[in-house]
Amino acid sequence: MSDTTCSGPRYYLDVWRAHLKVGMALMLQYRFAVLIWGVWGFVGPLISLAVWTAATQARGGAVANAANGVAFDRADFAAYFLTFMIFSHITMSWDAFEFAYRVRSGSLSPHLLKPVHPIHADAANNISFKVVTSGMLLPVWILLFLLLKPTLPTSAVSLCLAVPALLLAAVMRYVWQYCLAVIAFWTTRVEAVNQLYFTLDAFLSGRIAPLALMPGLLGAAAYFSPFRAMGAFPVELALGRVPPGEILPGFLLQLVWLAVAFLALRVMWAAGVKQYSAVGA
Amino acid sequence: MNYLKLLSVFYRTSVQTDMEYRADFFVRVVASLLGLCTTVGSLAIAYQYTPQIKGWSFAQALVLLAVYYLMDGLIEMFIAPNMREIMSQVRQGTLDFVLLKPVNSQFMATFRTLNVWRAANLLVGTGVAVYAIRKLAVEVGPASAGTFALTLVCGLAVIYSFWLVLVTLSFWFVRVDNIEQIVWQAFEAGRYPVEIYPHWLRLTLTYGIPIVFIITVPAQALSGRLDPSFVGVAAAVAAGAVAASAAFWRYGLRFYTGASA
Repeated sequence: MSDTTCSGPRYYLDVWRAHLKVGMALMLQYRFAVLIWGVWGFVGPLISLAVWTAATQARGGAVANAANGVAFDRADFAAYFLTFMIFSHITMSWDAFEFAYRVRSGSLSPHLLKPVHPIHADAANNISFKVVTSGMLLPVWILLFLLLKPTLPTSAVSLCLAVPALLLAAVMRYVWQYCLAVIAFWTTRVEAVNQLYFTLDAFLSGRIAPLALMPGLLGAAAYFSPFRAMGAFPVELALGRVPPGEILPGFLLQLVWLAVAFLALRVMWAAGVKQYSAVGA
Repeated sequence: MNYLKLLSVFYRTSVQTDMEYRADFFVRVVASLLGLCTTVGSLAIAYQYTPQIKGWSFAQALVLLAVYYLMDGLIEMFIAPNMREIMSQVRQGTLDFVLLKPVNSQFMATFRTLNVWRAANLLVGTGVAVYAIRKLAVEVGPASAGTFALTLVCGLAVIYSFWLVLVTLSFWFVRVDNIEQIVWQAFEAGRYPVEIYPHWLRLTLTYGIPIVFIITVPAQALSGRLDPSFVGVAAAVAAGAVAASAAFWRYGLRFYTGASA
């Protein structure tokens, strides 16, 4: 354990192993509260599903966008929103609030004194949360699939491709959310910025409606946005709704936006740490 | 001791404290407006494909949404800060200081403070209500304004009682804030007409966690769709809820031992 050089892959492997162990213990300690937070993720997608199911009933079975000929019936919506719900859980990140609190209270200072960037501990914590809660929520997910009888994915290739897309989306969301968190170095509060992020995300990621059903301009804006890359893209891929010619561009967009986020985080972190004066101290 | 005078002192000191954090208000307004954009947007997109969903037109759904915002604003302003404070006082054992005061303990505990900046949602809710009513093209006369105000107060009384029972349970169970989260999740569902939900959920939202009573009924009153005779029922339910929860609070106090003792 007394490795004095604080670099290299071996060192980081040890750091991560330790952080994951602590993170898992923490999550299991507060398992009930953690589960409640996990259940929060059900509310949005299931409400959206209820709204769209009612809309399909009013339209006699299916909703179709005349502009692009894409149609969704009840089972399609069920598949879309259930998959979205599970993928959102796997990609979710909440660091902005936590980080802003640390900046305000000054409790960030000890984290900065450690020889590793605090993002490692935070990311390990994030992964621990997902491992613990996914285990707890899995039966509920299966039950929902059985109850709501969604259209099942048709293409095995597409389903397999959704796995790397989902992982990329998770990393993307994490880094983007950390960028927002770092804004707290200047503002100490991130509620307003974060709310703006969630609002944009609601429209452009496909959270409130499948992007193919969005009115023209909004749908086009969503296509190129980072929000689709970390939201609807893996979902559509899993359900086989991405045309073969669009798959590669989709992955490329993910990579481009991920690179942008990493770059932004590096620049913002360097400037922010200089700015930080430990409020509580 | 004059309770009204006491209440005005409580609220005055709370407002004075909140004035120290004026920027909070703008943050709240921005957050509230952005949240509104999301909900209205999701409704507007769905309504692009159909003129009515389960018998609700877009304008009627907006009236419901407006009432949701008004209720949320009122709850977060007057009820929530006090109830959350009681829960933390029970955990820390500092509720003793509240109980020792020579006034009614329930009054002292549940009307001690208000959060004035949460009025942001009241503003947003009023704005949406005005817009939706004009779109709906219904006359809001003194009669429907009166029933609306009355049902709104009844709804507040019901949620107050519901939360008071929850807080009283913390005398036995100490940690009940997780249950509070579940109640909020149900409240979230009240943004939309309950008719869109499956039968079992509709029943839960009507009788279990009475979201229908708190949001749908005042919304129907505002758009002139409420049977006037129901106002009497609403008042009776609210009065019953207040009386029952107050009795439960008094009973629960006998079991409060003070966490530190």
